Amino acid sequence: MEGKIIVVTSGKGGVGKTTATASIGAGLAMEGKRVAVVDMDIGLRNLDVVMGLENRIVFNVVDAVKGKCKLAQAAIKDRRINNLFLIPASQSDNKNVLIPEDMVRFGETLKAEYDYILMDCPAGIERGFENSVAAADEALVVCMPEVSSVRDADRVIGLLYARSITPKLIVNRIVPEMVERGDMLSHEDIVDVLSVDLIGLVPMDDNVIVSTNTGNPLVLQKESKAGAAFLRIAMRVNGRTDLPIEVPRAQGKFWKRMGTKFGLGK
Amino acid sequence: MLNGFLKKFLGKSDSKDVAKKRLKFALIYDKLEVSDETLENLHRDIVEVISRYFEIDHDAFKLDIHRSDDLSALVVNTPILSAKHR
Ligand SMILES: Nc1ncnc2c1ncn2[C@@H]1O[C@H](COP(=O)(O)OP(=O)(O)O)[C@@H](O)[C@H]1O
Ligand SMILES: [Mg+2]
Repeated sequence: MEGKIIVVTSGKGGVGKTTATASIGAGLAMEGKRVAVVDMDIGLRNLDVVMGLENRIVFNVVDAVKGKCKLAQAAIKDRRINNLFLIPASQSDNKNVLIPEDMVRFGETLKAEYDYILMDCPAGIERGFENSVAAADEALVVCMPEVSSVRDADRVIGLLYARSITPKLIVNRIVPEMVERGDMLSHEDIVDVLSVDLIGLVPMDDNVIVSTNTGNPLVLQKESKAGAAFLRIAMRVNGRTDLPIEVPRAQGKFWKRMGTKFGLGK
Repeated sequence: MLNGFLKKFLGKSDSKDVAKKRLKFALIYDKLEVSDETLENLHRDIVEVISRYFEIDHDAFKLDIHRSDDLSALVVNTPILSAKHR
């Protein structure tokens, strides 16, 4: 087996990398692929709680990279979604315990074992970022429709291009009402500014917080619009590029929608 | 909708248009920034090239980036002591 390593990154913190990693990882596993999601936020681990697997950590990614345990010992199997595995971050180390060369080597081990490996990158563009992208074949850049987030995405996209990786963009936490009102950058605006290919649009959704409260996978939540959006992104990552990108729409009243349709909304 | 109408009517622009404009400028500006290390390397390389043709005063050699609103210029200034004849 020769798997693919995809880094999920953004530059800025709090834009949805961890949420995206957990959900897209789950989506790929539901597509029948063998998937590992790796928490690279060493010292500040969170992917475990988002996935509801925090009570089952024995070994972590640093142990696995340093050869203190076997890969299989560090990989926690999700019991709700088949073929999904979490490799948690260590909480006691800092990002400098690993170097990019370690990760390139570890990447080969991972690729022999899984179809898809998602690296949940920490915020910033220092060592944690370098370790996360060291072995990456592809990249997903997450940003929010907000000035500072888009600017940071631009910086990260430049760094990825410098490594010959052409990233795909996810715009997360879209509030359709605000976009329609002209108070939030639309995905067209963002793509125009960043000149990068889009892979999915995810609306702001209360279910994201509800699912992290309980540790239940967002993608298994029936009415979650964000969950559904991440599932479509997973399918597109998995080669279903014919799948159209759905634009989040406001729930608004009939007249409001008609207004938008006839260009009166803005 | 009414909100949108009113805004148009009053000639107010959408805040996202302001955001987009500011972003575009910020990104251009960010890309013009040069690190000290790059400047030092450039300094060394330019001195080396000019020295092939001229005797120059190394201490008086000056390299700067001048910025104005819509223009960024690299300004090199060096006194020449003599031309090298070969
Ligand atoms: N689509 C969304 N709708 C609502 N809340 C979201 C959404 N995506 C992320 N969040 C919330 O935003 C916060 C930051 O998300 P997280 O995935 O931890 O970001 P990062 O890993 O980039 O720091 C979390 O509280 C998360 O629940
Ligand atoms: Mg995170």
